[in-house]
Amino acid sequence: MNIEKLKSAHKLLCEYKYELGKIKKGYTNRTLYINLGDNEVKEKPVTQLMKDKFIGGKGFGLWYLWNAVTSETKWNDPENEIVIATGPLGGITQYPGAGKSLVVSLSPLTDMPIDSNVGGYFGPLLKFSGFDALELQGKSDKDVIVFIDGNKGIVRIEEAPLEAVDSHVLGEQLTEMFAESEEDKRNISVVSAGTAAEHSFLGLLNFTFYDVRRKAARLKQAGRGGIGTVFRDKGIKALVVRFAGVKGNLNNPADQGTLNRTGIKFHKQMHDLDDKQNRMRQVGTANIIEVMDQYDLLPTHNYKFGSHKDTYRISSKVFKEKITQGMADGCWYGCSMSCAKAVDNFILRTGPYKGQKVIVDGPEYENAAGLGSNIGIFDPDVVLELNFYCDTYAIDTISFGTMTAFIMECYENGILNKERTGGLELNFGNADAALELIHRIARGEGFGKIAGLGVKRMKELFIKEYNADPGFINDIGMEQKGLEFSEYMPKESLAQQGGYGLTNKGPQHDEAWLIFMDMVNNQIPTFENKAEALHYFPMFRTWFGLNGLCKLPWNDITPSNNKYTDEPAKIPEHVQNYVDIFNAVTGCSIDKNELITQSERVYNFQRIFNIRMGKGKRINDRIPYRAMGPVTVEEYESRQERYDGQLKELLGYNPTGKDTEEKLKVMRKYREDQYEKLTDAVYKRRGWTIDGVPTLEKLKELGMDLPEVVEVVKKHI
Amino acid sequence: MKVLGKKPELCIQCHACESICSKTWFKEDNALKSCIRISEDEKGGAVIISCTQCGECIDICPVEAIKRDKNGIVRIDKSICVGCFMCVGYCPELAMFMHEDYLEPFKCIACGQCAKSCPTGAIFITQENA
Amino acid sequence: MIHVNGKEFQWEEGMTVAEMLRRKTYTYHKIVVKINDVVIPNEEFETTVIHDGDDVKAIHLLAGG
Repeated sequence: MNIEKLKSAHKLLCEYKYELGKIKKGYTNRTLYINLGDNEVKEKPVTQLMKDKFIGGKGFGLWYLWNAVTSETKWNDPENEIVIATGPLGGITQYPGAGKSLVVSLSPLTDMPIDSNVGGYFGPLLKFSGFDALELQGKSDKDVIVFIDGNKGIVRIEEAPLEAVDSHVLGEQLTEMFAESEEDKRNISVVSAGTAAEHSFLGLLNFTFYDVRRKAARLKQAGRGGIGTVFRDKGIKALVVRFAGVKGNLNNPADQGTLNRTGIKFHKQMHDLDDKQNRMRQVGTANIIEVMDQYDLLPTHNYKFGSHKDTYRISSKVFKEKITQGMADGCWYGCSMSCAKAVDNFILRTGPYKGQKVIVDGPEYENAAGLGSNIGIFDPDVVLELNFYCDTYAIDTISFGTMTAFIMECYENGILNKERTGGLELNFGNADAALELIHRIARGEGFGKIAGLGVKRMKELFIKEYNADPGFINDIGMEQKGLEFSEYMPKESLAQQGGYGLTNKGPQHDEAWLIFMDMVNNQIPTFENKAEALHYFPMFRTWFGLNGLCKLPWNDITPSNNKYTDEPAKIPEHVQNYVDIFNAVTGCSIDKNELITQSERVYNFQRIFNIRMGKGKRINDRIPYRAMGPVTVEEYESRQERYDGQLKELLGYNPTGKDTEEKLKVMRKYREDQYEKLTDAVYKRRGWTIDGVPTLEKLKELGMDLPEVVEVVKKHI
Repeated sequence: MKVLGKKPELCIQCHACESICSKTWFKEDNALKSCIRISEDEKGGAVIISCTQCGECIDICPVEAIKRDKNGIVRIDKSICVGCFMCVGYCPELAMFMHEDYLEPFKCIACGQCAKSCPTGAIFITQENA
Repeated sequence: MIHVNGKEFQWEEGMTVAEMLRRKTYTYHKIVVKINDVVIPNEEFETTVIHDGDDVKAIHLLAGG
């Protein structure tokens, strides 16, 4: 459909003009509020409280959301907001991974706040247009596009009935429509969802960046939590920002020289070491697929197993051949880590776009594991096709993978059958069925509608409607707090069980990834060691979400002398880089300890926000047993030697002559008890009560004892 | 393609080239604003760093601000450059430079001013196949 | 008897670092090995012998997700 035709069907609902401003040391000092119900558009100042306590990014998102909702608000109430924000470091061009946006909303999956971290150009261009954050509230009954022209100072809300909904089409249409020339296309970024977000709770948001060499809009995802579902529910078809004139000093940093030098030091490190280390520039995060398999940690068949004889077919070597090499693949300027790999000229073999040659943005590690081994698929082209459709339909690949793995195990155990699945034979490894399932989710058709509910609601449904054994279903459904687990095996690492289970948003590894440190290196043997790691790493990693940063440059490349430092796992040189660039931009003088305190404030605030929404306590931090240990005889016997050895060594229990059912019980009791002890130790280290509530002392210590926060806490201690 | 050739064994480290370069391009006598840099190795021998026009930076640039001109010389289009300095980090010769006074990096474009100023012929404009 | 990453491991006379890594199936390429707190360079894995009673660390530098 031609662009002129699409544009002519637009109806202007509101135009808002604003004064262009200047960024001062990383902050525009204002945010943009839009209500889609009554088309109210207004500017709000960034307060000193916001900067002191919340810094930016998800901090601003959580603060705005707290003030927008009540404890009764549901994800699809008009009061729910979608807040998009970078942070004070957002948009710098010198240091890698500085273009991230944090998107915050009440999640349809978890019914509490979720924060999702996404690349692409939208956040920085929004900031350069004048706004530290964009707040979207209310609901439009017609599909609208919000357009922000950051050079002219205009915001427009327009009805847009004819444009596509799926992102690979819509992203191109709107880049073409709003760019003033071919050269201007890199000044446009589009935020959009897809048809699956209209029919499922798993909807994600796509953020584009224009790839000047491929001459195409690339897609990065705010994947977790179903924020795309909220987006479509609000009647938003897309957000578009245009800003021309990106330069390295737009943040008006206090110390440009330090910023430049730190960036160059990092680029040089990537140049010298990436090929010998993780090969991020060649294969991105897919570099660890075969490593996870070698160490029995690649989730296989719904996390039953950790490896498979066919993993070599979806290893990084295979994907390297499909990914176009030598491209500048950073998802914001200055990212020398360049991990946003793509497969070009991929011909789709199924679905509404069958036969089209497309760009597949990926595969990231999560996709190779979630759309591959976890559902028994070892055909790289199927992984790529599922990856593509997840992106364009706007389905979180992690949730899709974990959810489909759950469905397949239910199918193989007779809880689902062909009648219930509408004819789909959802055995592990059935690629055709998995592909057809994704199309039915997008159409909201039959079993697709059920799958689109996510694991938590499906568990309830299967127990109620299909007489599934609640014990078994709750053991194998890998979700917690309503969010599906991401694609790592926590079964053999108590620290990672905590890394998944004792999180704010749900079992997403952005807080902590401790599997090797714990399981293989055995560097955190005691409960106190683990608790210390489950304090430091979540607090450190939260910081990226306050500043609009990507975590990967922190530890996906290691300086050569790192092994000689006191705490190599923390990558001290890179921690210092972050301190240096924060101070260089903002003019502050934080050190590495203050960095942690900044995160602790927001982290505790988020925990209390969860509590306010009726979740957020110890009972919600429980995890399904499949995340802790072997559920079935088959699982136990697949690792019999290891498990028998553990029973002997750790419990003084003699496994000889005992049947597997008996050993399963003994192992389970031990592991569940271990998790409780870990939970006690972690809560203590975090300054929380035994029920997981931040104490008043802790809040006072952090300076986070805001009256509305204290009011919630007082009800629960 | 005409590039800047080097014979470090002839260099007497007088730094006249650095002076003339920075004065020509940045109106300042400042070695840190020169596109040619003279230093010394462990044995006391001169080291001359300047762009060889290899072009490795071209594919590094996220905005295609770096291109060869009609003479084959690698040029930076400052109007497109976003100041990320990945080219500085990736230059195999360490001959792409950043100075905090400027948003864009700078490099030798074989203008020949330094060659004219060199007393020993250690640097010279020479014809090379692109 | 030696310790590898804090756990007892069967040792025999002449076991090299490379041999230990093979037996543990530690195949990852970014491993830092220390014997009694001294870093052993990668080039010396095949030739460095582990002695009885040694405390060996084989730290995998895997960032993960």
